[in-house]
Amino acid sequence: MKKNVRLLFIFSVIFSMMLLAACSNNESKPEPEPSKKNSEEKETGESPSRMEINFWHAMSGAGQEALDRIVADFNSSQEKYTVNAEFQGTYEESLTKLRSVGGTKDAPAITQVFEVGTKFMIDSGYIEPMQSFIDKDNYDLSQLEENILNYYRVDGKLYSMPFNSSTPVMIYNKDAFKEAGLDPEKPPQTFNEVKAAAEKLTKPGEQYGFSMLTYGWFFEQLVATQGGLYVNKENGRADDATEAEFNGEEGLRVFNFLNDMNKAGTLGNYGTNWDDIRAAFQTGKVAMYMDSSAGVAAAVNNSPFEVGVAFIPYPDEVDRQGVAIGGASLWMSKGIAKEEQEAAWEFMKYLTTPEVQAKWHIGTGYFAINPAAYNEDIVKAEWEKYPQLKVTVDQLQQTKPSVATQGALISVFPESRQQIVTALENLYQGADPQEVLDQAAEGTNRAIEIANKTKK
Amino acid sequence: MSFPRKIVFYFLLLFSAFLLFFPVLYAFMISFMTGGEIMQGKFFPQTFTLDNYFRVFERLPLMKYLMNSFVVSTGVMIGQLIVCSMSAYAFVFIPFKGRDFIFFLFISTMMIPWEATMIPNFFTIQKLDWTNTYQGLTVPFFALAFGTFLLRQHFKTIPKELFEASQIAGLSRFAFFWRVILPVSKTSLVTLGAYGFLTTWNMYLWPLLVTNNDQVRTVQIGLKQLQSQEVATEWGVVMAGVIVVIIPTLLLLFIGQKQLQKGLTQGALK
Repeated sequence: MKKNVRLLFIFSVIFSMMLLAACSNNESKPEPEPSKKNSEEKETGESPSRMEINFWHAMSGAGQEALDRIVADFNSSQEKYTVNAEFQGTYEESLTKLRSVGGTKDAPAITQVFEVGTKFMIDSGYIEPMQSFIDKDNYDLSQLEENILNYYRVDGKLYSMPFNSSTPVMIYNKDAFKEAGLDPEKPPQTFNEVKAAAEKLTKPGEQYGFSMLTYGWFFEQLVATQGGLYVNKENGRADDATEAEFNGEEGLRVFNFLNDMNKAGTLGNYGTNWDDIRAAFQTGKVAMYMDSSAGVAAAVNNSPFEVGVAFIPYPDEVDRQGVAIGGASLWMSKGIAKEEQEAAWEFMKYLTTPEVQAKWHIGTGYFAINPAAYNEDIVKAEWEKYPQLKVTVDQLQQTKPSVATQGALISVFPESRQQIVTALENLYQGADPQEVLDQAAEGTNRAIEIANKTKK
Repeated sequence: MSFPRKIVFYFLLLFSAFLLFFPVLYAFMISFMTGGEIMQGKFFPQTFTLDNYFRVFERLPLMKYLMNSFVVSTGVMIGQLIVCSMSAYAFVFIPFKGRDFIFFLFISTMMIPWEATMIPNFFTIQKLDWTNTYQGLTVPFFALAFGTFLLRQHFKTIPKELFEASQIAGLSRFAFFWRVILPVSKTSLVTLGAYGFLTTWNMYLWPLLVTNNDQVRTVQIGLKQLQSQEVATEWGVVMAGVIVVIIPTLLLLFIGQKQLQKGLTQGALK
């Protein structure tokens, strides 16, 4: 018996050694890859002393395609740096991954973080403010789009480089407008006009007049265009916000607007998925809906009818203020080598040139952060093909700068957006607009309170 | 069985088969469609185009991803088979103090969801510097309580007399394990192997967490890269990718179907 136990022990030792050996075999497997890469690099005549930096991004689909092309162009445009663009999942997933390496030397030189993560990143201590490089290099910021910079500028300092930016627009079916006796070249502008048009466009059981994705971003925008604030302390830009303000009269106007149409049966509810509401529009089930400016080209391409693009609606009793941008910006890591930061800065400068921005705008539908890009020939040709794209840029450039259209700055934005989604869902179930808004505000306040407490 | 009953049975079987297979069928159809057709909710493509397939191979290093997935899934499968069969063997044939207690402790880990242990596992992998390696993707999955349980249940059906006879014949414990136990448990081993392979093949969160670049990334992350967040997704291309990715799993199911069926029903009855 004892002998057997000993045998088993010996065997298990042997086995674990085998396992280790197998692992180290695996380990050696990926190795040929880098050497292959090196030899490829040598073949293309690149010097091996290139500075390599990693760029973590969350661009998938068409965005990734366009981004990969830009990065490849950058790498072949100069001799000193190599940028590796690496996909890290959705915005949320890549932010979570960054938390595990942030501030260490393992952090990527550049990370793309979505707009609502701005406050979190500034507070995190992982990052090198962009402003320090802008000052050192005397980089001319005035060449970039003012209304986009405004969002990312905090206390007069630019912490990150704006990258992919979009705004909401209202997309409508021109053919349905003609059929309903409306002028397809004159889309409704105010809440009341939209309500009236939706009335005419609705065919019970067949087509709804208006729809909006159940997503907090659109609500924020409809509040911002009235000059309304989302949170106190000047939208969180003067100081850390302590309380939500979106349940004031501006927010109530938006909820009443949606509630009226819902009661009248002219509002279609297609849930929280971008693709669902787009499918509803493209199959003619909805005549007007709100979408991101980045979705315009696809809507035009995929719809079997004429598509029009309009500014987002505003209440009759106030003036239109414009829109705040959404999207993401690029952050430079702190705690990595100086040379890596230099490389990251060079890459960001390259990204903001008109030529690159023109390619980016066409490839994705996101705005060019450098407006000079709109004068590039490729953009002009694209606009001729899709005149709708110009509307999105006009809306952005006509925006009146204010704290409202700068966009709110809170670290718990994802939670707050979830609160709005719940409020909208309850509203569509027939709850009272003010009541659900107050609930959402309360939930946001709680989240803000906890975040402020844990920060210090 | 009478003829009318047969018809009813076959009709029901066909119906449920169609119901189960519908998503795959629809994905297959979509992979040949253009963007507009998909959004308008068509079922049959109007024009068969292979564009989506060309696009997906252009977009991603799909062959590399498939290769990685294959290495990782096979690695986990083999690792699980070795670890689970040996632990199950110990739990059945080697009497030691507190065996049942340890076994139930072992089994109770099935109650802990994998997600709960993910963060500590990740830190371990990070400390070992195993991020971006095959062992980082495989080793954490080698010990599987479910696999041990499955094999233990099967080993228990093997008569004790066999063990005693082998000892009289002078077989060592390992020889008994290797020459007697494993051959008679082939069906259970195949079941466990297929189960391990498929679950690993479909894993998303862990590979995403421990890999930072394309070096050892698996196909599921590739599929995720095809879907956009704000810009409209090209579902045709995504579905073409999905079809390519499920081919190996389908093949495995077709080849191992008989054994799988046997193994799973056996576990259910015992």
